Amino acid sequence: MGQRRRAVTNPSSRRVSGAPADVARVPSRKHNICMVSDFFYPNMGGVESHIYQLSQCLIEKGHKVVIVTHAYGRRKGVRYLTNGLKVYYLPLQVMYNQSTATTCFHSLPLLRCVFVRERITVVHAHSSFSAMGHDALFHAKTMGLNTVFTDHSLFGFADVSSVLTNKLLTVSLCDTNHIVCVSYTSKENTVLRAALDPKIVSVIPNAVDPTDFTPDPSQRLDDRITIVVISRLVYRKGIDLLGGIIPELCLKHPDLHFLIGGEGPKRIVLEEVREKYQLHDRVRLLGALEHKDVRGVLVQGHIFLNTSLTEAFCMAIVEGASCGLQVVSTRVGGIPEVLPNDLITLCEPTVRSLCAGLEAVIAQHRSGSVPSPASVHARVRSLYTWRNVAERTEKVYDRVSGEEVLPLDRRLRRLRAYCGPVAGTIFALFAVLDFLLLLFLQWLVPDRVMDVAMDATGPHGLWRPGPSSKVSGTKRAAEKDSSS
Amino acid sequence: MEDEAFTDINGKAISLDCQSHSGLCREFTVSSPKVSVGKVMVYTCCVWLLAYTVFFFTENTAVLSSAILITLLGMMLHIHFVKVDHESLLVIGSLGIQVSSSYASGRETTKFIEMSKIKDIVINEAIYMHQIIYYLCVLLKDPSEPDAVSSVVPLFQSSKPRLNCLVKVYKSCQEILSKC
Amino acid sequence: MVLKIFFPQCCNRADSGLLVGRWISGHDSAVVLAVIHYPFIPGQVKQYVQQMQAKSGVELSVLGSWSLPKEGQEGMESFLRDLSTIFPQQRWLQIHREIGKTGFTCEVLNRDQNGRVVQQETKKKSKKVEEEDGEAGGDKEEQEEEEEEEKVIFVHYEQRKVMLSQLHPIQNGVPDPKTDPPSELRQMFQTVATSQPLFFMDRYDDGPLKSTHWQSEGREASIIVELLKQASVPLCLLISWLLSIWTWICNIRIFSLYPLRWLSSKLSTCVQLSYKTEHMRTLSSAKPAAGHTQFMRKANILVSFLVDVALGMLLISWLYRDNHIAMLANTLVPAADHVAKELDELLQWLMGAPAGLKMNRALDQVLGRFFLYHIHLWISYIHLMSPFIEGILWYGGLSACLGLTFALSLLSDMVALLTFHIYCFYVYGARLYCLKIYGLSSLWRLFRGKKWNVLRQRVDSCSYDLDQLFIGTLLFTVLLFLLPTTALYYLVFTLLRLVVVLFQGVLHLSVDFINSFPLFAVGLRIFRPYRLAEGVKFRVLCEEPGTALHLLMEINPLKFSTVVQMYRTPTYSCYPKDSWAALVKKLFVGELIYPWRHKTIKTE
Repeated sequence: MGQRRRAVTNPSSRRVSGAPADVARVPSRKHNICMVSDFFYPNMGGVESHIYQLSQCLIEKGHKVVIVTHAYGRRKGVRYLTNGLKVYYLPLQVMYNQSTATTCFHSLPLLRCVFVRERITVVHAHSSFSAMGHDALFHAKTMGLNTVFTDHSLFGFADVSSVLTNKLLTVSLCDTNHIVCVSYTSKENTVLRAALDPKIVSVIPNAVDPTDFTPDPSQRLDDRITIVVISRLVYRKGIDLLGGIIPELCLKHPDLHFLIGGEGPKRIVLEEVREKYQLHDRVRLLGALEHKDVRGVLVQGHIFLNTSLTEAFCMAIVEGASCGLQVVSTRVGGIPEVLPNDLITLCEPTVRSLCAGLEAVIAQHRSGSVPSPASVHARVRSLYTWRNVAERTEKVYDRVSGEEVLPLDRRLRRLRAYCGPVAGTIFALFAVLDFLLLLFLQWLVPDRVMDVAMDATGPHGLWRPGPSSKVSGTKRAAEKDSSS
Repeated sequence: MEDEAFTDINGKAISLDCQSHSGLCREFTVSSPKVSVGKVMVYTCCVWLLAYTVFFFTENTAVLSSAILITLLGMMLHIHFVKVDHESLLVIGSLGIQVSSSYASGRETTKFIEMSKIKDIVINEAIYMHQIIYYLCVLLKDPSEPDAVSSVVPLFQSSKPRLNCLVKVYKSCQEILSKC
Repeated sequence: MVLKIFFPQCCNRADSGLLVGRWISGHDSAVVLAVIHYPFIPGQVKQYVQQMQAKSGVELSVLGSWSLPKEGQEGMESFLRDLSTIFPQQRWLQIHREIGKTGFTCEVLNRDQNGRVVQQETKKKSKKVEEEDGEAGGDKEEQEEEEEEEKVIFVHYEQRKVMLSQLHPIQNGVPDPKTDPPSELRQMFQTVATSQPLFFMDRYDDGPLKSTHWQSEGREASIIVELLKQASVPLCLLISWLLSIWTWICNIRIFSLYPLRWLSSKLSTCVQLSYKTEHMRTLSSAKPAAGHTQFMRKANILVSFLVDVALGMLLISWLYRDNHIAMLANTLVPAADHVAKELDELLQWLMGAPAGLKMNRALDQVLGRFFLYHIHLWISYIHLMSPFIEGILWYGGLSACLGLTFALSLLSDMVALLTFHIYCFYVYGARLYCLKIYGLSSLWRLFRGKKWNVLRQRVDSCSYDLDQLFIGTLLFTVLLFLLPTTALYYLVFTLLRLVVVLFQGVLHLSVDFINSFPLFAVGLRIFRPYRLAEGVKFRVLCEEPGTALHLLMEINPLKFSTVVQMYRTPTYSCYPKDSWAALVKKLFVGELIYPWRHKTIKTE
């Protein structure tokens, strides 16, 4: 990939475009938001699309949004996506599962640079698995910025690794101004894990773009019943369960087909099952799917199956329902909250229970008593929209930006008070060191020496959709100011 | 001809000299500050002090002579390969762009890019060390695909001026490029 | 549009006449090659230009007129304009320079469809003030006034350098015109280089035409080069005759038998010999080198061969003076003895409790005795050889007259032979270790209920019988507990082997370096920098704003690193080399490492 082009526009045009926007939107304040997470495109998943869609809607509302993530392979540096969404791919070392290694300090110089040059007012970190997000929260507090955190996943309390991560989460979140969870189950979980005050935790569910997921019954084949599974093939998504379900159901129903999209380490389980029972013609493994291809796969099926073992909010089942499929899912985490009971069949996360649930839905299908795809879509389409999510998130930002940022001494005292004497002291020491490092960096490269970045989005945004700007995904900022 | 106060990304003062030879040909020279005598003295003193302490303990005179050699050699290598005195960009309409940088020792490296290979000149953002900076670069065409960019030649690589300086150079470059 | 005129510096002060050159299509630029002086007969000029065009293959044409009036010559204006009707062209340049004011004026006449001459309303005058910079002809031009409409850029170039230089990267053959049209500068360089026949006419010729170009003062050539050219033909014949005899000997049946062939591919002396033969064959081919690359290759080979032989002679002169050979031979046998003794001690140490480690006693004893016996064999072999060593060295030293590389290869082979016992130990150790690792890894998979699927190249799960699991686990345990003993022997002998391989690697590297270093190209880069051009650089000659541009085009020589990289003679060691990580991995799993062919260990 080549380098990204930077639009440089003369100050006059900035003034012209900026002025009316300011007049038009007096009531709500405009924020400069920085989304930080380890997970972003080209990685695929729920967190990634959440960040992307939320940012797009916030841009639409006139906020300035930049995204910070780590470098993915050769994709590093600064990129622009649709509507001038600016993404910083910072060259930080990836440790495990696309999450960066954290030392609490080494990411400070680059993050500070981003915060200063983009004049960030609110830092919004996503996903508790993202070390970079926690780092950003920590540094943002050191620099005196307000922070928001969105938790996308559930954790246990029992095993050693959970205990450790929960302690880290406590430390990380005790300074955060506001926390957003995607479902009530997730809120409960987070409040318990991080010992938070429930008042500063809001629930804003995820959403799907209903226009992307419309039903198309003509794609279905009538001589068979197709079950679609779309998820990453990892342990958390219950692929081992799926491996148990496939042979059992395929033996009973000769017209049953499976369509499995996604890639991951558990793929081998499915391949072995397919070979063992000679199901090559009935179980199709599609491999990694691009987001734009998902709908094309979904509409081919009759039933959508989700076998997750833990899930805070399952976007996949909403997408499936939006395409008019009957949804069968495990009853774990926040899934029961997501869809009304008549649109989803909930089962226990065991092979037997899931088989029974699927059998029931198949029987319904054979008798023809299922609701039509169009009616399902009509019900789901108004349930979750990104605009709604963005509006609610905006309120969180408005509330957060009014709060004061604790000075260092009170921050230290709070750390000691919240996190216990040992961890609190250690992290208070970290906070002091971070502050000293920040002072050193400010002496090395003062803030006034850093160039303020040109705004692509926000009240003074310079982004103009060019003629060739309809390319989806990572799109180039192909426009250049040739007026001179 | 005009001199505004420009600084590089680390806050050191640099000077930009725009020379217009004709409507078609302009030369921009960015000069960094000269090697300061004080800095050289400090480094030399450090090395010598270190050598003297080693000598004090080992009583070996080879240490002292090697310290002198190291300072001399280091200085020569520094001014010959590292320290760039000024960098210049010569834009000749319809012919091409010439980038040259001259080192403190007088060594000069030049690169000329023909106009037929140039797609555009743009200002870009990049992550450099622990900073995110703006820089000016020449985009080269891919001969097989006219719309694609095959590679990028960064300009003013060692002086690294800040955005206001880059914008100035960018605008007058675009003036020439748009004429032909 | 901007008109670019490439103007040779040698024509700056030529008498008035016609400009001969070429329009570069598609780029709006003209290359002036020579000036044909008055008086001339237009028909003859046309004929001459056509003749030259046929000879050189360049689309030559009369570009326009050049006038530098001497004292008392006036009123040429109308005459010059009339000339343009004689030589019909799309555009007609009138470049004018006055000696008194040293001005430079350029008018462009465009011709419309009907053939009428239309005076370009855009008329541009530029004035040039000249200062002499010694004899080199480095001129400095300045202009004063211009009228703005059509722009002309004068690019002054030094014709000799441009003609002789080779623009990099080299394009061989005819480039495909559709995909990649050659750039303007490349076309300009090609034009000057291929229009060589134009430059053969000098002022001492009695032809009807007189012209000015870089050789107009007389042809440039060197007597030595011409003599060498004459001498090279019989020399080449002689060498190729000798080579044919040599290849005939090499092709005798007995050499292609299996063991000999295998041996010769392993001995670096033989490899070196075949490599040299290949080089000599390239050198002695009677055909002149086609193209720049081949010429450079030949020259590089020749120069490095000469340097190689010279270094070899130096070595000989040192070896055979003061009886150095006998000294060497006398130190060699005790050294080998010493090594054997040290190894003996090492083995005794390993057979006890090395570094306090407790080994499997039975296996340890077996391995130790086995290796001790080998050393015993080796020592007796050395003592058998000792009377002959001086003779071998004496005759081997003679081979240095074939070049230093040859002597070094011989040394490498001798080292390999003298350390054959170390190699043997290493191979035994490595094989044993490799077997164990392999067995352990597959039994570990059995232990976990998996197996390696060969067809699909992946690990499958598999259900084993109870008996299978029992036997497998038993074997696994046995192998696991015997592993440290084997691993220790392997480790020690691998380290010894690595020392030898490192030494041989250094020898091979230096041989490669001598063989492949492009001495000729580097020399050319130092003494004639313009011959290898990376590109061009421009200097602005006029300083005042608002005037037309006079640029001086200089040749930007290739960087030394690029020269070395580009003209390196490819050698037999230019394989993709293993990285250090791959080497360590190989050592860990117990694969064999060699200094030859695979070239795993190199000090790079």
